[in-house]
Amino acid sequence: MTEQPPVKLSPVKVGVVWERLSGLMDQVGETCVRTSFSSVVRENYDFAIGLLDKRGRQIAQSRRSVPSFIGTMSRTLTAMLEKFPIETLNDGDVMITNDGWLGTGHLNDITMIKPLFRDGRLIGFIGSIFHTVDIGGAPSPAAKDCYEEGLNIPISKILIAGEENPLLVDILQANLREPEETLGDIRSGFAAYHACAARLFRLLDDEDLPDLEAFADDVLNRSEASLRRAIEAIPDGTYCDTLTADGFDHPLDIRVSVTIKGSDIAVDFAGTTDQIEHPVNSPLTFTQAYSCYAIKCALDPGTPINDGAFRPITVTAPEGCLVNPRRPAPVWGRHLSGHYMPPAIYGALSQVAPDKVIADCGSPLWNVYFKGRRDGEDRPFVKMFFMNGGHGARPTQDGPGCLSFPSNVSNQAIEQFENQVPMLVEEKTLVPDTGGAGAFRGGNAQRLTFRNLGDAPITVTIRHERVANPPRGLLGGEAGAGGIDMINGDRIPSKSQNSIAKGDTVTFQTPGGGGMGPPGDRTADAIRTDIASGLVTPAFAKERYGYEP
Amino acid sequence: MNLHNPDAKTATAYRIGVDIGGTFTDVVMLDPATGKLTNEKVLTTPDDPSEGVLNGVTRILAAGNATSSSVQTVIHGTTLVANALIERKGAKTALVTTKGFRDVLEIGRELRYSIYDLFIDTPVPLVPRELRFEVDERMTSKGAVLRAPDPGALRALAADIRAADVEAVAIVFLHAFRNDENERVVKELLAEALPGITICTSFEVMPQIGEYERTSTAVANAFVQPIFSNYIARLVSEMSRLELPEDLFLMLADGGTVHHETAVKYPIRLVQSGPAGGAQAAAVFGKLAEEPNILCFDMGGTTAKACLIQDGEALKTDNFEVARVFRFAKGSGLPLQVPVIDMIEIGAGGGSIAHVDKLGLIRVGPESASSKPGPACYGLGGTHPTVTDADLMLGYLDAASFLGGDMALSKEASENAIRQALAEPLGLSVVEAAWGIYETVNESMAQAATIHALESGRKVQDFTVLAIGGAGPVHASNLARRMGVRRVICPVGAGVASAFGFLASPTSFEFVRAAIEPVAELDLDRIDAMVRELEEEGRRLVTAAGVAPEDATTSIGALMRYMGQGYEVEVTIPRSVLDARDTAEVESLFVARYEALFGRTEKMETEVISWRVQVSGPKPVLEPTAALIDGPAQKGTRAVYFSESGGFVDTPVYDRYRVKTGEQIDGPALFEERESTIIVPPNAVAVPDAHGNLIIELGE
Repeated sequence: MTEQPPVKLSPVKVGVVWERLSGLMDQVGETCVRTSFSSVVRENYDFAIGLLDKRGRQIAQSRRSVPSFIGTMSRTLTAMLEKFPIETLNDGDVMITNDGWLGTGHLNDITMIKPLFRDGRLIGFIGSIFHTVDIGGAPSPAAKDCYEEGLNIPISKILIAGEENPLLVDILQANLREPEETLGDIRSGFAAYHACAARLFRLLDDEDLPDLEAFADDVLNRSEASLRRAIEAIPDGTYCDTLTADGFDHPLDIRVSVTIKGSDIAVDFAGTTDQIEHPVNSPLTFTQAYSCYAIKCALDPGTPINDGAFRPITVTAPEGCLVNPRRPAPVWGRHLSGHYMPPAIYGALSQVAPDKVIADCGSPLWNVYFKGRRDGEDRPFVKMFFMNGGHGARPTQDGPGCLSFPSNVSNQAIEQFENQVPMLVEEKTLVPDTGGAGAFRGGNAQRLTFRNLGDAPITVTIRHERVANPPRGLLGGEAGAGGIDMINGDRIPSKSQNSIAKGDTVTFQTPGGGGMGPPGDRTADAIRTDIASGLVTPAFAKERYGYEP
Repeated sequence: MNLHNPDAKTATAYRIGVDIGGTFTDVVMLDPATGKLTNEKVLTTPDDPSEGVLNGVTRILAAGNATSSSVQTVIHGTTLVANALIERKGAKTALVTTKGFRDVLEIGRELRYSIYDLFIDTPVPLVPRELRFEVDERMTSKGAVLRAPDPGALRALAADIRAADVEAVAIVFLHAFRNDENERVVKELLAEALPGITICTSFEVMPQIGEYERTSTAVANAFVQPIFSNYIARLVSEMSRLELPEDLFLMLADGGTVHHETAVKYPIRLVQSGPAGGAQAAAVFGKLAEEPNILCFDMGGTTAKACLIQDGEALKTDNFEVARVFRFAKGSGLPLQVPVIDMIEIGAGGGSIAHVDKLGLIRVGPESASSKPGPACYGLGGTHPTVTDADLMLGYLDAASFLGGDMALSKEASENAIRQALAEPLGLSVVEAAWGIYETVNESMAQAATIHALESGRKVQDFTVLAIGGAGPVHASNLARRMGVRRVICPVGAGVASAFGFLASPTSFEFVRAAIEPVAELDLDRIDAMVRELEEEGRRLVTAAGVAPEDATTSIGALMRYMGQGYEVEVTIPRSVLDARDTAEVESLFVARYEALFGRTEKMETEVISWRVQVSGPKPVLEPTAALIDGPAQKGTRAVYFSESGGFVDTPVYDRYRVKTGEQIDGPALFEERESTIIVPPNAVAVPDAHGNLIIELGE
């Protein structure tokens, strides 16, 4: 009995090469995390590693990356290659930019891409995106344009044939507050690319592949076909939804129409409110990333993130609107709009694919900046603290409490926090009756109360959404409870800066998740369990579910 | 009793290791005087696991013509603790915690562990919300009492807990890792008011910073404590009835062993005891083969595990997760702050099911056919193709000699399962599809192990693969090649390695104390006093367990980092540095360690997060001898698939117990033993060493 070994690019080979390439991205990612300076990179995995073929198609991406970076690298590379055409690139070059409109939507993410040459031949590109806290300027919630938000690095070469570009390094050094941290992270990228290239070449040798093209063709087509099959299962038509965000001076409408035609899906934001002079505008690249993420999670989770997976998706928005602003709109807090893309799209899709989507979550992510001074110290402290709202209900499951989508930032231990700032956390607790009623209920919100223990006052800055417009329920499910902000028990505006004196308390109650399906369809068993745990009060059960023991 | 002097020429002094697994209870008996090792496998008795233990011990004594009085030590490891947590079959437990914080256990870290999945489940807390009670007490972050609990309120609390009819209570207060005064006060009062109920405080279980992880750990300890201590009490009494030693030793998850009286106080420290034994065995085998740096690769029926052994010591961590609810995903389980051997586990074992994914590619696991119905070839009703089915189709396993011939396999069933599920949908031959399963599962394990090494700051290429578990030796060489590793060790008794590892483990106990301080402000007088106190307690424990006082050694470690960093690095601090109160040396030891791990240093201030003190008895010296059998080694040949050869080649099959020491055998070759088959690929050579280990050198 003799068998020929598997032929080139059999499904076995594609599968193994795919596994190796994804693993390679994760290995490079892990190396970056281990050597990074920025705690954002280390603790929140606020970075991505990507491999692109010589035509600029993204083949693989590190698996733990945050959604903001999904698919942005090919678009950034396209812009880079317009400025530096392929024939002008040399071995050892590394291109860089942090332009919000060309990259990931704000200046704090730096994208770098390096062409990979083998025996003098371009075989593809390796790139990375990482978040940097300091990008110079005076980024503030009050910023009126993007110039205030920091240093814009136009598309340029940070490495020229292996040598650092001295002018660019000087500019960075002169404009950043912590240049060593940002430059350190840039340089750790160089080392990671180098290690990646060596391993990639070995992989090509081992698998007997001259370059990445044949593999890319195959795996991109498979990814595309997988998403197309999922889209085809949805009836053709245009489905619309409008979601209202709290905004600043006036509410902001995010209007979406999702058109399914055969195996294509088009998402358009015509009708969305115009861009505003507050730093929450979401450049189209960020809008696209979160729209693609929403579609992928709903229709084709678990398949690779590559260009093929985005071919069936088109995302458009009228220029000058909140989700496709013109320069010089301020964009620093673009997630305050961008995190609304998934619930808007799910609202539209719920009309035809109710088993694929979830009700609104208590998102965009809530955070708070505390700024103050420890007793006996001159240097002020600045501390950011994250708090998640309740998760939206799912078609067959309740939403978990204190878990947010699409954002995904973990909390900090209270014991760590109290070690760092002169404050006492008096409670961190689930709040009854905050999850929207429904056949499946939304996740509960949490409430946190902080007391100032120090002599110096502490400034508390918040930009909270979902206060006036709480997370909506879907398919007959009810809305979750809106968020609440209080000082000493009195409500304060959800977008404000306040000062708390010694002994004062500030309380935040995040928004609860929306429910799914009519409350009347909830089982008596589930309601009894809710009441026993105290997550739903008997009064609420009676009022919303008509339940009496 | 002289437990740890293997050179003592007492008449008989057998050491017995017993490991309870899901299906089998393994028993290993060593005569330290001769190095002779015997083993026995009996069925696990899930209803009362002690029955299987005693049955196994009785059988191995009979087989070795030994009497119970000639047994010196019994060391035991068990999955009881982990299973109770996975199946939520522990005691009804209450939590008593700081006012305002009873939901910490349920809220967790607020992180979605699978970022593309809208339907993830969060782990169900071990204590439901209605059994989580609050006390109006508070400690500051510096460990000062801000509010002491009110005695009147505590009496009401005791009444509430009594009414709730629980069997165990965990007490966890904020910042108690710094000062446990309030926890102690509440424990004393509750203990008095609730006789017969198990009560433990977070300070006793593991005084580490991080309220969620500490609560989870203390609750898990309370949850398993009643069933665990009942089990141990039963086992000890049965052992004494059989005139076995009344001191039973238990294997901890960090590779140490403790007396049963210590173990019942900290049952959560046994959570990974079986796999820890495997790692300890790997360290011994590595030492015998003169390989101090080992990647221990343990592939069993449902999962594969890997851990690193550097300079003869298994790498440890104190972040562990048990009972993951989703595909072994980090973050989907219950976090435990206990010292454990740092191990990854992925859903890739012999029983893992292969399927075609949405992309039309082969995926393996994490769903498993387990042992029932098992792989298709078992003929027990399994219809899905598994890794074992692929191994059979490729000739790596033999239908007639599986488990020493005790279990006939059906190649036809494998062929049908693979054809139906993979070959036909993909347009491949059955052999190509089987090869696809083998390649795919090996590649996923290689990636997981490579990333695990990077996560601990090491390169996998610097390690030698040591294969244990039934499926380990079948996959090890291919896996090693994928990782760029050139050497593979296949020890004798790979199937009972955990039980053997118990025998290799020293009596030891580790204490941890949080003490967050910048190095510049370290109060080494206070630290030294604390370390001495823990050392004293540790010496008390290990000497009570039979270690001679002069044989007990202490190691002191500090968990350190650059201020503001998210990861700590463990630094060994010599006694002399503390004696000299040499703060500068503490810092330079950290910097040196950091540089060794990451190849760079930072110009930043450093801090200590916690101190650990481990007191250990001597490591037992084990030199098992190869029990070789005379006679021709080669049993025959069979057709085996090797991609290097472009297909099936006629491959010699050897009985591994008949191959003579030092005899070099060129690949391709197979070595069969009862529990496994060792695959030596083409372009590799295998040499059995004096201890019976087969050393495989892979060519380029």
